[in-house]
Amino acid sequence: MKSFSKKLLAGTAVATVVLVGSIGTLVAQEKPVIATVVKISGIPWFDRMNTGVVAYQEANPDVVATQSGPATADSAQQLQIVNDLVAKGVNALAVVPMDPAVLEGTFQRAMERGIIVVTHEADNQVNTNADVEAFDNADYGAALNERLAECMGKEGKWTTFVGSLGSRTHLQWVGAGEENAKKYVGMELVDPNNESFDDANGTYEKAKEILRKHPDIKGFQTSAGNDVLGVGRAIDEAGLSGKVCLVGTGLPNPSADLLESGAITAIGFWDPQKAGMAMNAVAKLLLEKKEVTAGMDLGVAGYNKVSVKQGAGKGLLILGNGMVLADKATYKEHLF
Amino acid sequence: MQKPGGQLTMLLVINSALLVAGALISGGSFLSVFNLQSMASQVPEIGLLAIGVMLAMCAGNGGIDLSGIALANLSGVLSAVIVSSFLSTADSGTAFSLAFIAGALVIGLAGGVINGLLISRLNITPILCTLGTQMAFMGLAVVVSGGKAVMVGSPALLSGIGNDMIAEVPISFLIFVLAASVVAALVKFTPFGLWLMLMGTNPKAAVYAGFPKNGVIVATYAMSGVLSGIAGIIVAARNVNVKFDYGSSYLLIAILIAVMAGVKPEGGYGRVVCVVLSAIALQLMSSLLNFSGLSNFVRDFAWGALLLTFLAIGRYDIAGFLSPDRRSQNPSVPVPQAPK
Repeated sequence: MKSFSKKLLAGTAVATVVLVGSIGTLVAQEKPVIATVVKISGIPWFDRMNTGVVAYQEANPDVVATQSGPATADSAQQLQIVNDLVAKGVNALAVVPMDPAVLEGTFQRAMERGIIVVTHEADNQVNTNADVEAFDNADYGAALNERLAECMGKEGKWTTFVGSLGSRTHLQWVGAGEENAKKYVGMELVDPNNESFDDANGTYEKAKEILRKHPDIKGFQTSAGNDVLGVGRAIDEAGLSGKVCLVGTGLPNPSADLLESGAITAIGFWDPQKAGMAMNAVAKLLLEKKEVTAGMDLGVAGYNKVSVKQGAGKGLLILGNGMVLADKATYKEHLF
Repeated sequence: MQKPGGQLTMLLVINSALLVAGALISGGSFLSVFNLQSMASQVPEIGLLAIGVMLAMCAGNGGIDLSGIALANLSGVLSAVIVSSFLSTADSGTAFSLAFIAGALVIGLAGGVINGLLISRLNITPILCTLGTQMAFMGLAVVVSGGKAVMVGSPALLSGIGNDMIAEVPISFLIFVLAASVVAALVKFTPFGLWLMLMGTNPKAAVYAGFPKNGVIVATYAMSGVLSGIAGIIVAARNVNVKFDYGSSYLLIAILIAVMAGVKPEGGYGRVVCVVLSAIALQLMSSLLNFSGLSNFVRDFAWGALLLTFLAIGRYDIAGFLSPDRRSQNPSVPVPQAPK
C-alpha cells in the first residue's frame, strides 16, 4: 500500500499545483466571452492594452473580457493559445497577431465555428471579421520619418529597426518612412530593417554595433515598443544624445528618462489601451449582429469617427485617428 | 525484453491526472471531443521534433539535435518555394500537395544526412554541429523566402492533413502516431536499434566491436531530419503558410520533452512511447493553463516544475518503488539509490 500512496503523491503533485492555482478563475460563464490575445505578455505595451481590456470589462458587465498572451515572442506559442481558446469555446477573439500568416488557418477554423474574429495591427489578415487599426499605417510611418528628417537637418545616414521581418505594420512604417526620406536627397539609408524582436537588450547590442559600423550615422527610425529604449540607451552611453536623432514607436513612461536626456528625439504611438477597448467594442458590436459603418463612434477616444474600408479578405478594415507624436516638451500630457 | 518501466507508469499517471484536473477545472468542457481533437492536432509538430531529439540523444557522445525546428521550417519553406514555381495550388491541388510533401521529406532527409555526415566524418561535437546547421537552415529559409511567410494554400490533400479527421481522430495526429510507431519498431526490432543503444552506452566498445559507427550516426540524424520534414508538412497543412521563424521556442521544449520522457542525455536509453506520452503531457498542461486563463508565465513555471519532478524521480528511483519487480529494466546504467 505504501508504494501506491507514493504513486498517487508523485503523480498528482504537479497537477495539484495547477489545480489549486486556477480554481479561483473558474466561473460558469453564461455571458459572451471576448478573449483578447496579444503578441507577448508582460511588456509595457501590452500591459497598457490590458488596462484597456479591464476598463472595457468594467464598462460592459454584460460581456466577459479577458487578455492573455504567450510568454515568449513566438508565433507558434500564440497560435497554441488561440487554438485552445477556440476549443474552449469563446464567443469572440480579439487578436494582435505576432504573424498574421501563421494564424490564417486557425482563424478560418474559428470563424467556421461561428466565433467572431477581430484583429489589430494586421490589415492583411484574410480570415477576420474586422481588423482595427489606430491610423493609416503609411501616414504614421511618414510622420515618424518627417520628424526624424527635421531633427537630422534633412541629411545624413539613417537606419531602421522592425520588431521582426514578419511584423507587417512595422515594415509598412519603415517602408513609408523610406518613401518619405526620398524627398531629401541628402538622406542615406544604411543597413535597413534590423530585427529587434521587441527586446530592449538585444536592440541595445545591435544599435551599438551600428554605431560602431557607421560612426557618422545621424538617425534611427524604430518600430517595436521597446526599440527606442534599446537604441536610446546605446546613444546615451555613447555620449551622442542630441547628436544622433531617434524617432520611433514607444510609450511615454518607459521612455521618459531618455526623452529628458535627449537620447530619444520623439516617440510616436497610439494608445494600446484605446486599441484594446476598440477591438473589444467592435467584437461586441459584431456579436450583437450590428454593423460597423463609416463615421461611426466606437465610444473610445481616437475612434470617434472611424473610416471603414474593405479588408484583405471578406472582413472590414476599420481605421481610427489615434496617432500621437510626443517629444521632450509634450510627452507629459500622455503619461502611461 | 523491456517491460513497461517506471517512467511509463509515471507518464500515464501524470497524463490521467492532467485530464482529471482539466475536467474539474473546466466543468467537463476540457474533455469535450472538440478540445481533445484540438489538443491532438497541436501535439504532432513538437512531438515529432522531440522524437528526433531522442534519437540523437540515444546515439550518445553528447548527441543532440538542435536543428529540428529550423529544418522543419526549411523543409516547408523551400519545398513551397520550389513546388509553387512550377505548380499552382489552385490549378493542380493534388499534384501540388504530393510534390510539396515529397519535397519537404527529401529536404528533411538531406538536412539530417548533412548533420550525420558532419558529426560522423568530421567528428564535430553534435551540439556545435547542429547549432551551426540550425543557423544555416534558418538562414537558407530566410534567403529563399526573403524573410516573408510563404503561402502554401489549402489544396484538398494538405488541408485534409491539417484539418480532417479519420474516426474522429485528427489525421495529423495519426501521422504522428504512425511515424512514432515506425521509429519505435526500428529501434526495437532492427540491428540498427541495437547498435544505436549499445553505441550510446559505450561508444568506444562499439568501435572495437566493429559496429558500423558512421552508418548508425548518419542513419540516426537522417531519421531525425525526416521527422523534421514531416513536422514541416504538418505545420504547413495546419497554418496554410510557412515561415522561417515559426516555433522558435520549440527547440528547448523538444529537449524538455525528451528529458521528461526519461531519455538519457548521456546516451543509450530512450523509449519512443515515453516521448509520445511526455509530449502529450506537456500539451495537456499547456492547454489546461490556457483553459483556466492563467498567465503563460505560469506555464513556463509549471513545465520547469514538471521537469524537476521527473529528474528527482529518476535520481531517487521513485519509479522503482512504484514497480519493484521492474527495477532492473535498464541494467546497463546503474541507477543511484536513495540512501537508506
